[in-house]
Amino acid sequence: MLIKEIVDILEAEVLTGEDILDQEIEEFEASDLLSDVLALGKENFLLLTGLTTQQVVRTAEIAGGIGVVFVRGKTPEQEAIGLARSHHIPLLITSKSMFDACRAIVEAMINKEKK
Amino acid sequence: MTILHSREKLTLANELIYELKVKDAMTREVISFSADSTFREIQLSMKKNKISGVPILDEKRNIIGIVSIDNVITALDENYVNDKVRDYMTKEVITIPQNFSLVSAIKKFEKYKFGRLPVTENAHSRKLVGILTMGDILNRLLLSIQSIAEQVEQKEDSNAQLSDELIKKAQQKPLRFEVKKADFDNAGRVASIIRTYLQKLNINKQIIRRVAIVCYEAEMNISIHSLGGYISVELDQNNIIITAVDYGPGIPDIEEAMKPGFTTASEQIRALGFGAGMGLPNIKKCADHLELESSMETGTILKAIIHI
Repeated sequence: MLIKEIVDILEAEVLTGEDILDQEIEEFEASDLLSDVLALGKENFLLLTGLTTQQVVRTAEIAGGIGVVFVRGKTPEQEAIGLARSHHIPLLITSKSMFDACRAIVEAMINKEKK
Repeated sequence: MTILHSREKLTLANELIYELKVKDAMTREVISFSADSTFREIQLSMKKNKISGVPILDEKRNIIGIVSIDNVITALDENYVNDKVRDYMTKEVITIPQNFSLVSAIKKFEKYKFGRLPVTENAHSRKLVGILTMGDILNRLLLSIQSIAEQVEQKEDSNAQLSDELIKKAQQKPLRFEVKKADFDNAGRVASIIRTYLQKLNINKQIIRRVAIVCYEAEMNISIHSLGGYISVELDQNNIIITAVDYGPGIPDIEEAMKPGFTTASEQIRALGFGAGMGLPNIKKCADHLELESSMETGTILKAIIHI
């Protein structure tokens, strides 16, 4: 699944990285615990989180994330946006809750397989 | 105008309206007229320059009145548009000194519902130095907010450039980075620099990931739990050696600290997404070999070795 498909599925606003949404997402991670994200051991993942600190972007960068979705319409710190621009990591905001965002993604995956 | 009322949403903007001064936001090139100008002249200038009000000045550039688009419309209506403005202009002009903060300006806009405020040299002077609109304030705020993200971006970009020099240095001696107590905003900086550096050496992606995670967790540990310390990274033929040293107070029970979920971190740290007792277990998971020594007198030394 591409990041730009996620933008549609989650009715998300793209805060930064509009021109790099064509990347293939290999894994999804939904977590508010960054140590768990670091422990994940997966590459090219999309991170869904309720945290808004710059550490979110730092964690994605270090652990091999290719994008971050902030759930519940929360806006990240300005510092997080600066870090994301420097490391070319798209940042998305969705008004959906963590649960609803995950469910929407899973449903879209199932629909895709059916086709 | 609701800028003052939505405090929670606009905390940053609120900080800025107290910090920034009127002179930081005002327009300095002011189109002004003398009291002997006619309404017709002013009306033509307003149309040409797309403005809706002009200050009227005396020969010493002191403000003696203001003519707004409403005054012009009345003049057209009542057929004195070719008269001088002297007798018709608004003479009680509300102004603001240039050294006042933007919050005072916003309060004045809310109170008087004016579109613009002439700016004076200081509180005792009537001398005009600029003009301020809500649009000017908004532009200035957006500029400041934008610059915070840009500063971080530039700093981060320069970190990446630094690594060309670092590559040469690292081949001679270990790279050493200071980590300060409670400096959470910079935590991850070492990990990021090391990651960029190892990428330039074409080291395997998975290995880079593990090294970066060890650095990041070690940085977090030093800034959360210790009085400060440093991280050094050393490369030899077969290994990457990461050493994290802090100046105390030391870990009372290492065995317990290694257990997943054991933590002594505060609520503040948890709000950052850390402090759930996964740091040391994560480091252990990523390292091929781990040594941890701690003394309540001298502090903690963590040495992680990752095979290339």
